Amino acid sequence: MIKRIAAFTSLTFLLLAICGSCQTSKDVSQTYPRMIGDISHDTALDDPSFELCNDESKAVQYYALNSIFGDKPFVQEKYEVERIFEENYDSSVAAKESGLIRIRFLVNCEGQAGRFRVLGMDEAYNEKEFDTTITDQLLTISKKSLAFKPCKTDKGQADYYMYIIFKIKDGAIVEILP
Amino acid sequence: MFLWKGDSCRYNACTFLEESPSYFQLTREYHEIKDQALEICPEYAVVYKHKSTAYLKTGDFVGWKKLIDQAVDLYPEENLDYRGWCRFQFFRDYQGAIDDIERLEDLVDYDIGFCQNGDYHLVIAKGLCYKMIGENEKAIEIIQGQIERDPSSVGLYDYLHLGVLYLENGEYDKALEAFSEQKKYYELAECLYYEAMVFKKLEQQAAYETSVQKAHALYTDSQHMIDTYTHHVDKVYLAEIEAELAQMDR
Repeated sequence: MIKRIAAFTSLTFLLLAICGSCQTSKDVSQTYPRMIGDISHDTALDDPSFELCNDESKAVQYYALNSIFGDKPFVQEKYEVERIFEENYDSSVAAKESGLIRIRFLVNCEGQAGRFRVLGMDEAYNEKEFDTTITDQLLTISKKSLAFKPCKTDKGQADYYMYIIFKIKDGAIVEILP
Repeated sequence: MFLWKGDSCRYNACTFLEESPSYFQLTREYHEIKDQALEICPEYAVVYKHKSTAYLKTGDFVGWKKLIDQAVDLYPEENLDYRGWCRFQFFRDYQGAIDDIERLEDLVDYDIGFCQNGDYHLVIAKGLCYKMIGENEKAIEIIQGQIERDPSSVGLYDYLHLGVLYLENGEYDKALEAFSEQKKYYELAECLYYEAMVFKKLEQQAAYETSVQKAHALYTDSQHMIDTYTHHVDKVYLAEIEAELAQMDR
């Protein structure tokens, strides 16, 4: 009887060990970042002078700050953001492509933006790499001409994630979100 | 266990989720727990929907669509409303939103209800999508029809949008009538701004100036359209109201 219990116990431990190793090899934590949409620093892409005010695990999403900013965190209202792209984006030199382009980035508590990343999709929601005649312009204008509100209050300071989505039709910007 | 197909596995997955700790919807832990629920029951549509929201709110249209499509494929009656609305609100995919809402209307014999944030009945949202693809007459027919069919479900901005459509069509009396109705529900800066635009067209200078000034006062008092994540159709910005004020001063 004792031998049977010992054998059963060994088997149980073995199964648990196998199960445990399965979980380790699957390691779902590798599948997701700390938060969906997180942007890690990349020395090949990012401006080395851009720094966050807090640990990056404390960065929040732009919409969490609506009560502080009143609306979106653009220093210029969205109306002005649209004017900036109207004046600076040249669709005549852009490839005649269509879909959505998202530029996602971090804004530090001083209102400086960095770690810009581009994601594109075609009109059927398939991931798409847009021609650089479009994306380079969007990135340059976003980096040079847009200003974001710093998040500093009596209660503390925050870095935040922001994104801009451009709806592109035949190389022209037809709408800007959010 | 349950006899209806899939109910037992959904029950088990639901029990697992109820017994699991809660996490913020963008976190790794949140998605790992949802994935475990899907291992228990891969046909549990609402879990795909819940996972999709993190991608939606971070602007990841590709990741969002893959997940919400799975929810719609499994249970279209329960998920077409959300997918259709989000296509409109977050990605300005007007035709995609129309297709989803009309498919839902064909699929069910009950009221299709309101959009996720409660701002609009989905029929009104569909009307706005038609407006945004340039079909103003159809948009008016849909919005006016919905208001007449169910006056008890008129939303916060329905008459405003109807008034703007009439303004764009050059039907100024109907536009003013709609703005007058809008004020009974919610007097907001956009309503007064567009009312001013009607008076401008009608060359009624005194009424135009009064409406612009009221629009400015309302805007600075935060009585204007605000969407937590994106922006509303027909939203007016302070710079536009100030541009009118500057014209008046000349």
